Amino acid sequence: MRKLLPFIIACSAIVSGFAVSVLSSSRDTAAVGLRRGSQTVQSSQTKAHPATPQAIRLVDLEGVKKLISSDRQTKPLLINFWATWCDPCRDEFPDLVKVDQDYRGKGLDFIAISLDDTADIKSTVPEFLRQMKATMPVYLLNVNDPEPVIMAVDKDWGGALPATFLYDAQGKVVFRHYGRVKTPELREAIEKLVGSKQ
Amino acid sequence: MKKQYAFALFAAMLLILAGAVMAGSGKSSDAAMSPAIGATIGDFTLPDTDGKDHSLNSLKGKNGVVVIFVSVQCPISNAYNDRMSKLADDYSARGINVIGINANKTESAEAVKEHAAAKHLSFTILKDPGNKIADLLGAQHTPEAYYIDAGNKLLYHGRIDNSTDTAKVESNDLRDALDSALAGKPIQKTTSLAFGCSIKRV
Repeated sequence: MRKLLPFIIACSAIVSGFAVSVLSSSRDTAAVGLRRGSQTVQSSQTKAHPATPQAIRLVDLEGVKKLISSDRQTKPLLINFWATWCDPCRDEFPDLVKVDQDYRGKGLDFIAISLDDTADIKSTVPEFLRQMKATMPVYLLNVNDPEPVIMAVDKDWGGALPATFLYDAQGKVVFRHYGRVKTPELREAIEKLVGSKQ
Repeated sequence: MKKQYAFALFAAMLLILAGAVMAGSGKSSDAAMSPAIGATIGDFTLPDTDGKDHSLNSLKGKNGVVVIFVSVQCPISNAYNDRMSKLADDYSARGINVIGINANKTESAEAVKEHAAAKHLSFTILKDPGNKIADLLGAQHTPEAYYIDAGNKLLYHGRIDNSTDTAKVESNDLRDALDSALAGKPIQKTTSLAFGCSIKRV
């Protein structure tokens, strides 16, 4: 068995490498072809990284469609759906704030869309964002029927929160996660986009 | 012996490949795919909050059963407590029983029992340790509902209605589905979507 050990290790490495390579390409092809963009809704997003939380804006179905439309710009985009009443959302938020700080300057746009009640737009939501020292643009979803929004974002998403989607510069989803995001996986996916200077 | 080594090597490679597939999928591994509408849901058994086992078929009414994944802590699930109880009361009289399933690993059977008593939930709640049934049904969040008819066929999967705020409800999707089925008519909308709290899986 000892003689075989190096051989097993070598084979394992080869197989793992092959699997990862196959998967990254299949992920691309399987990704939902979502598109991004909106000059109006998103105009402040391309501004320099601010030091204080931005004003929270209401966004409706058309606004969400514009945010994820590929006409808008040519930078990778990270979108996180969350709410202050959602424990895993609160749990992952510091990681996302750090992601924003680390990658915005490297060309990543990041917007957070809150599912809190619209009545909380001047209370609970900004208070939480201040606690988190969050500086990414934050929108609060203002729709009576969530279904068209969920379908517009990802046909496989059942609406579970939190949900995180990473689009490449062409508007294609390259990473998505329902539930508390696994930060190392998210960062790895972002690195692939900003590292390749798309 | 050589054959044994070769087999061990093959098995190791398969395991590594499977692990890479799981890790690299990019999509959430927190939820399995839901059965298609029309699929037959096999009988299953889960314990209630006192540890007593119940099978799906034993809880089913003569016209089927509504299964709703629920939570103790989720504000969205809690927004539907009264509506779920009313649903159970209204439809048990028409042969469709409602059962809740709590698949959150973070919520104990005791907590589920206390919560059900405090909120006067009028339907049986089962605990799904290891989220096996949540995986079987592909449930992602709470509340998430399934209507399974008397023949164990899945006829509806999705939300209860469109809004946590009763004043904003415009689309009673689950009730509409049940009413159609009871009237012997095709269900117009067999799937629907709403936001909810992700199920805390093991």
